[in-house]
Amino acid sequence: MRMPRELDIELTAKCNLRCKYCYFFENENLDYIDLTTQEWTRFFDELGSIGVMKVTLAGGEPFFRNDLKELIDSIVKNRMRFAFLSNGGLITDDIAAYIKKTGRCDSVQISLDGSCAEIHDVGRGKGSFAGAIRGLEILKKYGINTPVRYTIHHFNVDDLGNAAKLLLEDLGLKSFSTNSAGYLGNCRKNADEIMLTHADRIKAMNILVDLNQKYNGRITAAAGPLAEAKYFAKMQRAFDENAPAFAKGGHLMACGCYNNKLSIHCDGGISPCTMLPNINLGFINKDKIIDIWQNSAELNQLRQREKIELAGIEFCNNCDFTDYCTGNCPGLAYNLTQKVNHPSPDACYRNFLQQSSAL
Amino acid sequence: MNEIYTRNPVIVLREEFDDWAVLYNPDNAEAVGANPIGVDIWKRLDGSKSIGEIVGEIKQEYRNVSESVETEIFEFIEKLAKRGLIGISSTL
Repeated sequence: MRMPRELDIELTAKCNLRCKYCYFFENENLDYIDLTTQEWTRFFDELGSIGVMKVTLAGGEPFFRNDLKELIDSIVKNRMRFAFLSNGGLITDDIAAYIKKTGRCDSVQISLDGSCAEIHDVGRGKGSFAGAIRGLEILKKYGINTPVRYTIHHFNVDDLGNAAKLLLEDLGLKSFSTNSAGYLGNCRKNADEIMLTHADRIKAMNILVDLNQKYNGRITAAAGPLAEAKYFAKMQRAFDENAPAFAKGGHLMACGCYNNKLSIHCDGGISPCTMLPNINLGFINKDKIIDIWQNSAELNQLRQREKIELAGIEFCNNCDFTDYCTGNCPGLAYNLTQKVNHPSPDACYRNFLQQSSAL
Repeated sequence: MNEIYTRNPVIVLREEFDDWAVLYNPDNAEAVGANPIGVDIWKRLDGSKSIGEIVGEIKQEYRNVSESVETEIFEFIEKLAKRGLIGISSTL
């Protein structure tokens, strides 16, 4: 690919919430500053000139920016589509109408982590559930696509059934996605309190598999317990049948996000992924995106990661499942091991089995 | 063959390393693939030449073009027009 297809952009360091498992805050690699309107619009001009197709705006809370309309105008002028990741609490009729009018918004994803304030607000703070529901209702009123992300943690595992009912039956969403609180950013400080225990994780897997059957696959996951339940079952089946290695198996493949997109942090720092702010590739308006995309030694080195065989990594010694494993997320791997070229230990099936037998 | 087409200014041309390209419409997120000749035609659709003139130029500039090139170019242009990637600006 000659230039990135899309970019994830942390538009602001400001947020109306301080969620206990936020990946964004408490990251020693970032300066928590906001760039000016002109700095962002200049950058969007650059993205438009090289043919970037889409930007996903996050933060912080992207709706915190009072120049958001100007920034949206600049994205639209530069022939891109856009999406938001939001907690929903700052969404107003005015901005929803503005977004709708552009015709370029793919979605506004809202984080909702419980079926009621008592559950949701445990992780995200008082009043945040009301804000999320209000945001969802406003977006729905304007016909904006609003996927919901449910982040599973220690205090909301048992609420998954109620949440599925709220989202899929009461609010009538087509689907919602799940992940789990990961050892990143603020979550590292609160890991013992908030992250899933191994027993929680097994419980979440079982509940989600059952719910997905009940709701005909309307619960999705790219990571977290549901994704793991599906992938681990696939690995076990392949192992039992002595199947050949998976197409992406046996190497540090993971999601390969760095082959499609880049991430821009609130301070203008450029990284391969929001989960990898430790790898700084440059700064916007100083370094050219196309130069970084095509020539960055760090980025090209990361792209070679998929050639690294799991069998040659000490962590994977004597593992029976390497042919069916991809090593999972490099961002989580780095946060847990301080190494990018390493499998993510919390996504390791052998570890999972060992912990399960110890229960 | 006398129609003069102009590119929709909102369409993004993403040229890739292997000479293939994508014409992307951000208004509806639709994308159309284009081979190197398709990209060349796209660049010529600047509102100054008729389809007939573009066909003539392509025939002259590319060696070993197939006999069906005229039909292929016409079909490609028709596809672009149907999807709103180009529009008729005038007729000779």
